[in-house]
Amino acid sequence: MSFFGFDATLPRDRAAHVPHPKQAPGFSQQRDAFAGLSGNPNELDNDDGYDFEDTYDGLGDKLDEGDDEFNDETFGGGNAAAPGKDFDFFGSTAKVANAINEEQLLYARNPKKPTQAAHLSYQQDRQPNAPSYAAATKPKPQPAPKHQIPTEIPELKPEMSLWATTSPEATPAKGLSAHAAAHFMHVENQEPPPAQPNFTQPAPAARKYMSLEEVEAEILAKKQAKRAAAQQPQPQPQLPLATQLNQQDGWPGRPVQGFPQHPQMQMQQTPLQQIELPFARGMPPPQQNQRPPQNERAPDHLQRGPIPQQGPGGQLPFPQIPTGPQFQNNNIPFPLGVMPPQGPQGLQGPQGIQGLQGPQGLQQPFVGMQPVQPQIMQMTEEERVKFLEEESKRLKRNHKILQLSRYNGLMTPSDKNFITRIQLQQLVSVNEDSFNEDFYYQVYMAIRARNNPQQPLSQFAQTYLGQQGARGGRTRRQDNHLLRMQQQVQRAVAAAKARPKVSQLVLEGSLGKISFSNVKTPKPLLSIKKQDSTGVVEPGQKPTHAFAGIDRRSILAAAEDIYRCLLDLDSHERKHPGPSLTGQQPDANTIQWFEVRDALVAKLWRSMRIMEPIKEEPNALHPFIAILSVKKAKEAIPRVFRYIDVQQRITILTMITLSLDQVDVIKEGRYPPDTLSLSNETKKKIEGFSQYVLPPLLGYVGDAQIDVITGLLGILLDRVNVLLLSQTQIGLAFLTMLTSRAEIIKQAGHADEQAVLKWTQTYDRLFEVLEDHLLDIFPPHGAQVDDMYVWQFLASMAVGANMSQQQKMVSAVKDRVNENVQASKTLPQEMGQHKLVNTNLFLRALGLDIDLLLSNQ
Amino acid sequence: MLFFSFFKTLVDHEVTIELKNDLSIRGTLKSVDQFLNIKLDEIQVVDEVKYPHLSAVKNVFIRGSVVRYVHLPAVAVDTALLEDATRREAAAQANKAK
Repeated sequence: MSFFGFDATLPRDRAAHVPHPKQAPGFSQQRDAFAGLSGNPNELDNDDGYDFEDTYDGLGDKLDEGDDEFNDETFGGGNAAAPGKDFDFFGSTAKVANAINEEQLLYARNPKKPTQAAHLSYQQDRQPNAPSYAAATKPKPQPAPKHQIPTEIPELKPEMSLWATTSPEATPAKGLSAHAAAHFMHVENQEPPPAQPNFTQPAPAARKYMSLEEVEAEILAKKQAKRAAAQQPQPQPQLPLATQLNQQDGWPGRPVQGFPQHPQMQMQQTPLQQIELPFARGMPPPQQNQRPPQNERAPDHLQRGPIPQQGPGGQLPFPQIPTGPQFQNNNIPFPLGVMPPQGPQGLQGPQGIQGLQGPQGLQQPFVGMQPVQPQIMQMTEEERVKFLEEESKRLKRNHKILQLSRYNGLMTPSDKNFITRIQLQQLVSVNEDSFNEDFYYQVYMAIRARNNPQQPLSQFAQTYLGQQGARGGRTRRQDNHLLRMQQQVQRAVAAAKARPKVSQLVLEGSLGKISFSNVKTPKPLLSIKKQDSTGVVEPGQKPTHAFAGIDRRSILAAAEDIYRCLLDLDSHERKHPGPSLTGQQPDANTIQWFEVRDALVAKLWRSMRIMEPIKEEPNALHPFIAILSVKKAKEAIPRVFRYIDVQQRITILTMITLSLDQVDVIKEGRYPPDTLSLSNETKKKIEGFSQYVLPPLLGYVGDAQIDVITGLLGILLDRVNVLLLSQTQIGLAFLTMLTSRAEIIKQAGHADEQAVLKWTQTYDRLFEVLEDHLLDIFPPHGAQVDDMYVWQFLASMAVGANMSQQQKMVSAVKDRVNENVQASKTLPQEMGQHKLVNTNLFLRALGLDIDLLLSNQ
Repeated sequence: MLFFSFFKTLVDHEVTIELKNDLSIRGTLKSVDQFLNIKLDEIQVVDEVKYPHLSAVKNVFIRGSVVRYVHLPAVAVDTALLEDATRREAAAQANKAK
């Protein structure tokens, strides 16, 4: 036959076919020009130029014509089968897949030593259902049986392979044993479409020869399998428990895999789960991904139940699970619809807590107790009681845990993380740092809580747990936790802050630095180190002589300085270490705290500029007095008084007294001629002064001794224009303050004669100055203005006055008194009454009463 | 955070919120957040004749960015404390700028 499709016929045969004239040259044939030159007439007779026999070497004779029958096989069918377009490369290859595979394995194994690992990999490779292999098959779409969801099919494979490995029948050395055949038949039953020849390549049936190495590997694999089989049952008993717990863990009503419509399926899957679980350690199947925490927690639970008799491996309700059938199950996947022995477990699932109580909740302790029972008999009465007590306690605890475990798994770990984060944030936000951030709210609430202590404190405490909330009784333990946690958080935050922030990165081999920036710390373009402002000399503060004290801006800046110091002191005060016990040496913290406090107070004192020397030239305003002219400085005085000591208070009082006629409220407080009232601004200033500055001063004066009062009044008389003072509200208030205090001391009899005498002299001087101007101290048109302060002053003067002085006073202000009494009649009831009361202040001091006057008229 | 801190103290007080669209709503401040979004309860539009469509509304959530003014109850504001808080805030800002 022709192989390449040539015309293989020999020239001599050709004649039979082709009727070409032998003599005539053919179309394709050059005419032989030398044909006649051969000179052999015989040859010429012979028509053919060449005789085949002459040139033929006879090789053709050696061909064995009989071996042609396999040509079809070798080259793919001669005449009969023309290769179609649907040539089955795949199928053809599959026929020799085994050989190819073996070849590959041999190749792969050759360079390595036949170690354990190699065997393992060998084993794995050869097992079609090994986990990795199964994983590889997963993506391949498999037509699933109609009641099965495709995603589960991959799960079926690995566990079968596992048990196939352990079962000796599956080892291919024995070839295709009947059992193995059954096994594979089952596989086919469960997975109807096994039409994947490439996956079945290691089928034992196809293997005929084994190399020595392969045999070795086989033996080792067998040993391993035995070992594995021996180990397998140990973790096994745990597994059903785990599945049970799975069902208990807050998912009682929920079928394990979410097939409520196929209870059968559930049952079928339950054992599968059991088998799978050992795998789960390495490679969690999908159903575990759904609820990751429970499986991890399940062993936890078991260990928490204190069952001393139980082995460390947790060999639990072994009797509950018939081992034999289970093994069978593992080996032979049950056909569809056949109920496995473990079915009831699956059924218990939906029953939730009952199911929980049954196999695990109750049985577990009992199992634990079984070996104990004989011990009880041997125990003494006392021991027995004790033992039983403990036992019941343990049972109770177990019961409680189980009951609580109903709610296990309601929150996922990410839920919990979220909540923890919120809580931590809350704790962090209560930190000192955010006390700055939330200053107003916190202090406002604290103040309110202080003002009405019944109700809002709890609210405050609720809002800011642990900060300064109620710490007593019931909440103490909780508070401790909170406090501890808060401290931990604080430490963590502090540590994070302490860690030097990386703002630059120098990559190895790079030529420059990479600097980062973020929203909070933008990349610094210039790095200029500011001077530390906590030093002794404030850079913002001008030195003494540079302080002009006049321009408003610097005054305001100075006032702000005072406030800054005050705020520092306030926040320092909040860090007070707490009252030290009496008799106990203050610890380092407390000492340090006081040191810092003293430093801050000194700073505050300096910021007041009160110690700056008084300039002698007229109209030179002392810095302190200048600062005091702004409202906020006045408002600061009471707060300053809280921190400074007595000596400093008297210094302030003296300073104010000394330059009283320069204080704005005095300078501007005098009624200009021909005006009926003061400007609004001045009124406000006066109000502010009497509201903020006077009370602390009064508080101090109220405790002062008579010589201090005398001294102050002396200073006033010597250095200040008292007449001016007397015509202003604040001035009069000052005078009233001094005189009334002196009177009180005098009448109480606390002072000695000498001091009283001195006071009387000073008083007389004051009276002399004012004597002729008593009417001027009234505000013009007093009928409309509240002139109480005037009457107060007059009253205080009258108390201290002797008879002649009183006489003079009465004659001086008599008209005014009468005027007031008249006015009170024309004015509305309330105001009139007020006026009378004011006037009465003075009259009473004289020992009279307004009623006398009224009745006289 | 100063304003947030401040408005938190006004919770459960009656305030009047004036919006940028000239609507004024009076109601009880229920809550405020860091964006100064405001929740009001028992609201009443100040000019009810002009905005009758809001008469049926009982409570509102107002986005902070649309608020023009908040009319405060004076008694509920501690001005001295507010001044201090402002100072602290300013100091904190200055520190941050350093």
